[in-house]
Amino acid sequence: MSEYWGIKVEDIFNTMPERFRPEGAKGVNACFGYDIKGEGKWKLTVANETLKVEKTGDLTGCVSVMLADGETFVGVNTGKVDGVSAFTSGRVTVEGDFSAFGKTAKMFKKYVNGKKEMSTRDYILDMFGTLVSRFQPNAIPGLDAKVCYDIGGNDGGVWTAIIKEGKCELVEGKADRPTTILHVNEAKDWVDVMLGKSDPFTLLSAGRASIEGETQIALKLGEIFAKYKSPIPEGEPEQELIALKKVISVNQRFATGPVMGKFLNALKEKKIYTNKCPKCGRIHLPAREVCAECRVRADEWLEVGPKGQVRYMEYVYYSSPDPLTGETRETPYGMVNILLDGCKGNDTFAHLIRRDQIDKIKGGNNEVAGTRVRPVWNEHRVGSIFDIKYFEIDE
Amino acid sequence: MTHRKKNRNVGIIGIGQTKYSSHREDVNQPEMIHEAVEAALKDAGITMKDVDCVVHGNMELFEMIHQPDLWHTIGTGACGKDCIRITTGGTVGATISCAADNLIASGMYDIVMAIGFEKLQEGHTTGGITNMADALWFRNLQTGALTGSKAYDVIREFGEERAKRVSMKYRIIMDKHAMRNPKAHRAFGLEFEQMDNLIKTSPKLVGDLKLIEMCSQSDGACVVIYACEKKAKQLSKNPVWIRDHITVHREEVFVMFGYDEKYPFPMTHRFAAEQLYKRNGIDSPVEYFDVFEMYDPASWWAVDWIRDFFQLKGDEHLKLVENEEIMIGGKMPINPSGGVIASNPIGATALVRIAEAALQIRGDAGDHQIPTPVSHALASGFGGTMWTVLTMLEKELNW
Repeated sequence: MSEYWGIKVEDIFNTMPERFRPEGAKGVNACFGYDIKGEGKWKLTVANETLKVEKTGDLTGCVSVMLADGETFVGVNTGKVDGVSAFTSGRVTVEGDFSAFGKTAKMFKKYVNGKKEMSTRDYILDMFGTLVSRFQPNAIPGLDAKVCYDIGGNDGGVWTAIIKEGKCELVEGKADRPTTILHVNEAKDWVDVMLGKSDPFTLLSAGRASIEGETQIALKLGEIFAKYKSPIPEGEPEQELIALKKVISVNQRFATGPVMGKFLNALKEKKIYTNKCPKCGRIHLPAREVCAECRVRADEWLEVGPKGQVRYMEYVYYSSPDPLTGETRETPYGMVNILLDGCKGNDTFAHLIRRDQIDKIKGGNNEVAGTRVRPVWNEHRVGSIFDIKYFEIDE
Repeated sequence: MTHRKKNRNVGIIGIGQTKYSSHREDVNQPEMIHEAVEAALKDAGITMKDVDCVVHGNMELFEMIHQPDLWHTIGTGACGKDCIRITTGGTVGATISCAADNLIASGMYDIVMAIGFEKLQEGHTTGGITNMADALWFRNLQTGALTGSKAYDVIREFGEERAKRVSMKYRIIMDKHAMRNPKAHRAFGLEFEQMDNLIKTSPKLVGDLKLIEMCSQSDGACVVIYACEKKAKQLSKNPVWIRDHITVHREEVFVMFGYDEKYPFPMTHRFAAEQLYKRNGIDSPVEYFDVFEMYDPASWWAVDWIRDFFQLKGDEHLKLVENEEIMIGGKMPINPSGGVIASNPIGATALVRIAEAALQIRGDAGDHQIPTPVSHALASGFGGTMWTVLTMLEKELNW
């Protein structure tokens, strides 16, 4: 198991039960698979607001399987890698039901590095583990040096940073003929220096550390390597940044006017009324006060449909939350443009199709007729678009 | 439609852009806008004292701030000046440019600053877009700006395999351009070899519109400073002239999917381009223009719209993409900046098209500068459900 930013893939999965938010899993009853390249496969079973996580070779029955490499997976879960970019660029892919997979996002609290406290040994290992990544080749161009760190005490150890041709390599132990050796008597002191709690000159003058070889290089270590940052956030943030959260909820009332009023009222009687442009013959769906193209009143009323043929269907896999209700529609769903009987050209009627029939819908055109459909009316009709629940295939 | 010549010429003398990014939580709205204002003033070599009027625009409902221009005064420097707020949806960035041009051409002002911005992460983009639809009917059906209809159309006309490959090729070309633009939001380093894999693996959003083919949601601001001919020549070594612009508006079009050839649906892009070329005496736009900055919210739309904007026939537009003629160095470079598909701070987006077109004419686009001289540029703006703004920019005052 490899570590990425000091975190293993299994750390993410092992902490899922404690990070699980039952309120985010309401109404979700499904298995989700994760196939992490070179690391293994995991299966999450979510049912009745409970979660089971298992490492398993068998991902059959999962509604979706997420595929990623370990680094990307850990990175996305810890905020080191931008999730949307990883997803968009294909570093993360999802097989199966993409929108079902999206629901897992709400189920977990954010992963924070499990260690709430770090021991001196943890810090020492993390400091040397990140040393190469903190190397700044442009700080001293052309630097050719072997810097040996001799950290004493039970938590210490010996490492050598070999810097040559703009690259840095870290080896355990003392390398052959180091340029500089930094001796620190106690590991704890070095940790304090690196965390900014004490300064190296205090250690040197107190005799708790010493430099052997080229002193200049030891004094420039702060430039050669970028500042070490503790993986545990502490103290004051660098800037006073706050994101304020607001929710706006607005009640609105819209007047229909007489034309839309007549159209909506007709729906209560299970009728689709519309009006026609006296100039170009265009039939408006829904009814409109004027023909926008001819700029004349459309005052001839006629009844069309309610059956018709599908001309086009939007097959929607990804559903944005409906801003009117905050709800997310079940996906996939189909939004259809129906050429109602009695209509022509582009005068189509937009509505939804019965969800279990979306795979059977065919769009029509001049040569081929589209699937015949009929409205399914709501029992309780109030004069709104949802007086029609949806359309279904007219068999 | 009467369209008269300008009273006087107008040139772009200053351009400023922020880096486009998925979030800018390090700054608030006026601070973010200020970055672009400062850059544009510096580019023009003037101060706010020289600016007569500020035109400010973004998407009306996206951050749910009623008059953001008031708050933003601390970032724009508009205090005590004429300030006009314009909000026309996706086209707003292009519309504020038209307004700035008209305000100066009319003789009312000598120097006008146009500011387009968006902080999409501070609001709800889909909520904003859905609220565009009429409240009595379509708002209940519409969810955001995603549609698979253009993919359906292109696949119907040219077959599934060719259509899908053209769309993905366009997407990869835009990424290659974005990789050369340090201000671009999304730059993945995609390669043409990934085309078939991306077609297979990129998640579908609606129909055959895939995640990677859709634009990002970005934060950022763009500022362009315009001046009358006299001031432009005094202040700038290389002003870029606004030759003409056209706006074609129409009612919302949720009901246009009849697929009946006897009733062709008039598209505003083709109509606008036709009018613009006619009144400027341009017979072959592909030959005339050296670069085109297109408002391309998704690769399927982009591929199809190339045909409309350049008045092409048959599959000429597909060939431009397939033969890489739209790339930097090609015959008709499109979006050297990486386009909207790479960066989309919506209220700024259409103004970025004009700013980037002007940078190309000046030769100041840096790594994404096209290698051949640029004298004539075209920039488009697009807004839902379907309307168009086109702007023509010129290096010389010789038309």
